[in-house]
Amino acid sequence: MIELSELRDSAAKAFPAGSILPNREESWQLASEMGWLLVDLPEDLGGLGLGRAAGAAIIQELGKVLCTAPLVPALLALRGIAGAPDFDGKAQLVERICGGEYVPLNMLPGSVRAAPDGSLSGLVPGLFEADMASTVLVGSDDGYRLIPLDAEGVTLVERPLWDESRRIFDLVLAGVPASAATLVADGEAAAALHDEIARSAMLYVAADSLGGAAATFDLTVEYLKMRKQFDRPLAMFQALKHRCADLKIALTVAEALFETRAAAADTASVVELGAMKGHATDTFRLIVEDAIQLHGGIGLTQEYPVHHYMKRAMLNLQLCGSLDRLQEVTGRAALAAYA
Amino acid sequence: MTDQASPDTLRSELRSWLAANKPQGWRDITDHKAFADSQKQWFLKLVEAGYAIPHWPKEWPGGGRSLAEQKVIYEEMAAADTPRLLLSFISTYHAYATLHECANDEQKTRYLPGILKGETWCQGFSEPGAGSDLAAIKCKAERDSRPDGDVYVVNGQKIWSTMAQYADMCLLLVRTSSEGAKQAGITYLLMDMKSPGVTVRPIEQIQGDEEFAEIFLDNVEVPVSQRVGEEGAGWAVAQATLASERGLTLLELSNRMRGALSRVAELIREHGHAEDRGILRDFGALVTQVDAASALADRFLENRIAGIERVGDASIVKNAYSRALRAYSLLGVRLGGMAEQYRAPITFGDLNTGNWMADFMNSYAWTIAGGSEEVQRNIIAERMLGMPREPKGWVL
Repeated sequence: MIELSELRDSAAKAFPAGSILPNREESWQLASEMGWLLVDLPEDLGGLGLGRAAGAAIIQELGKVLCTAPLVPALLALRGIAGAPDFDGKAQLVERICGGEYVPLNMLPGSVRAAPDGSLSGLVPGLFEADMASTVLVGSDDGYRLIPLDAEGVTLVERPLWDESRRIFDLVLAGVPASAATLVADGEAAAALHDEIARSAMLYVAADSLGGAAATFDLTVEYLKMRKQFDRPLAMFQALKHRCADLKIALTVAEALFETRAAAADTASVVELGAMKGHATDTFRLIVEDAIQLHGGIGLTQEYPVHHYMKRAMLNLQLCGSLDRLQEVTGRAALAAYA
Repeated sequence: MTDQASPDTLRSELRSWLAANKPQGWRDITDHKAFADSQKQWFLKLVEAGYAIPHWPKEWPGGGRSLAEQKVIYEEMAAADTPRLLLSFISTYHAYATLHECANDEQKTRYLPGILKGETWCQGFSEPGAGSDLAAIKCKAERDSRPDGDVYVVNGQKIWSTMAQYADMCLLLVRTSSEGAKQAGITYLLMDMKSPGVTVRPIEQIQGDEEFAEIFLDNVEVPVSQRVGEEGAGWAVAQATLASERGLTLLELSNRMRGALSRVAELIREHGHAEDRGILRDFGALVTQVDAASALADRFLENRIAGIERVGDASIVKNAYSRALRAYSLLGVRLGGMAEQYRAPITFGDLNTGNWMADFMNSYAWTIAGGSEEVQRNIIAERMLGMPREPKGWVL
């Protein structure tokens, strides 16, 4: 059995700290060669069967360097495909993905309608790096479908992001013939699949956020130790030390909740994992917010890296449900539990 | 003794014992004396059952438990909502650790058995002029000869001594020299609270509780044989005292707070807020904050069980708990509305007294006592993150 710490170490070695925003295609190839697409895939489908926590450990390390390889949407799609009831070409598709083909899942809610003739129309936002893909897995309120991007009526529209470490696309469906798409799950099967994917999604976005938060925090403390004003390093001022201590506390607390929920991710509820994701992304937000302020003017420049983390943090807050929504759902569930 | 038993066996043993033996109605006690009596009875019952001192070595009844087993005991006590052991806490942790690690055999033989009979200890460390800066203590001890052996004659004042009004003995830090570094002139004594010249005045706290007291020392004679370690080596002994509590309290308290979230849920329902999305969000955020603080306390203890502890870890755990406690009690005060502004009799030493305003006020004990939040932040920044200290030498 591979230990999580070994996975972390190999991820940190492949993507060393400090070399942020590695090239997207090269990173993807490296991630694929390292076998990271296989970690959460069951062994009977050719994977390593190490579970979500293994994927999360890798993603947390990649988050530190703002990795541009879209491992999260790929692992989510793979979990969906692997967990779906058998469909034509399932084994072959899994094999292609394991060989390095990028098949993403949309990470924002999509809306797809089927016309009486079965043709599909709708708008599916939240497809990361979709220009690297030839097929996408689309989750919407009426199920999960595999859609080839070269099918008739399919258009990809890039939506430029503030977060330049990622690229995001809308998928526009205008009368895509029913025969072009493969319905992999609907009804109860889709609902069950949705929960399985949501567990992973919450965990992975949290992992990415906490990796980014740790890197941002380290960057900030190092900067304060180096930058001098009033004949002393900024790190000597107690007002700034206390802010750093508060951030360290917040980060450690968020990591503890993350690790606890990650270890129980297969049995924890989607609500519990969502609460953890909200907490982790909000901690990333807190840290980037102070990081910019503590850097002063240099923090507002393009040439200094801290802004990249800030933009990633703010985007992560929007994925898999907003903080407001997740907190409300958590409160509602806790209220019901104490009924 | 069941020192080879698995934590699971211990857990089920303890559950059945607690079901039959846990104190009933302790939350209704609002009189100080009755509270102290009930604490002593509960402690003695736990001693008899073998659950009071799991962290002592196994030659003591109920001792020799692993940290993993101690964790089980604290978790089950919290789950059963038993009263916390406040009165005997200093005795079984601080006094025990000091005696066990630093005292001579005669002192150990003399004092350790008494603790199990309910002899209560308090701690005489802080002074009005020495709070966060503990090494600045001034309480003076001068050596003098007496026909039946040398004594230290002690004069000064101690403050913030938990339940000193009920204590039989005191762990006392005194100054025996003003030469050199301020830490170097400190000596550690074991003082009988019934000695002539000892006056204890309970401090009435903001919520009407009297958990702390002041101790006035007027020519109090402490035999030199009651000194722990060498003269001038008291600072090192004090570190052993302060390091005695190994993260179990915060685990216990976090578990108790997790259980007490039901009280917030009751308030939300009683006040008709069950569909108020703003309040549901705040409740959801609180539940997550409490879960996170519990997860951290748990991880901290698991690390200690595995022999891992980094400087600053304890500071982070304490801060996480105390901030969650503040948020918990504050939400209660807010949701409880005017009802919480009327004075109510409270149960001592509980984070969950039945009055939210009292709980809110009491939450400050955790951000101030035992090393204030500000001191903890300095420890984290300087010793964990390696941020440089400010230059010394600034004179008022």
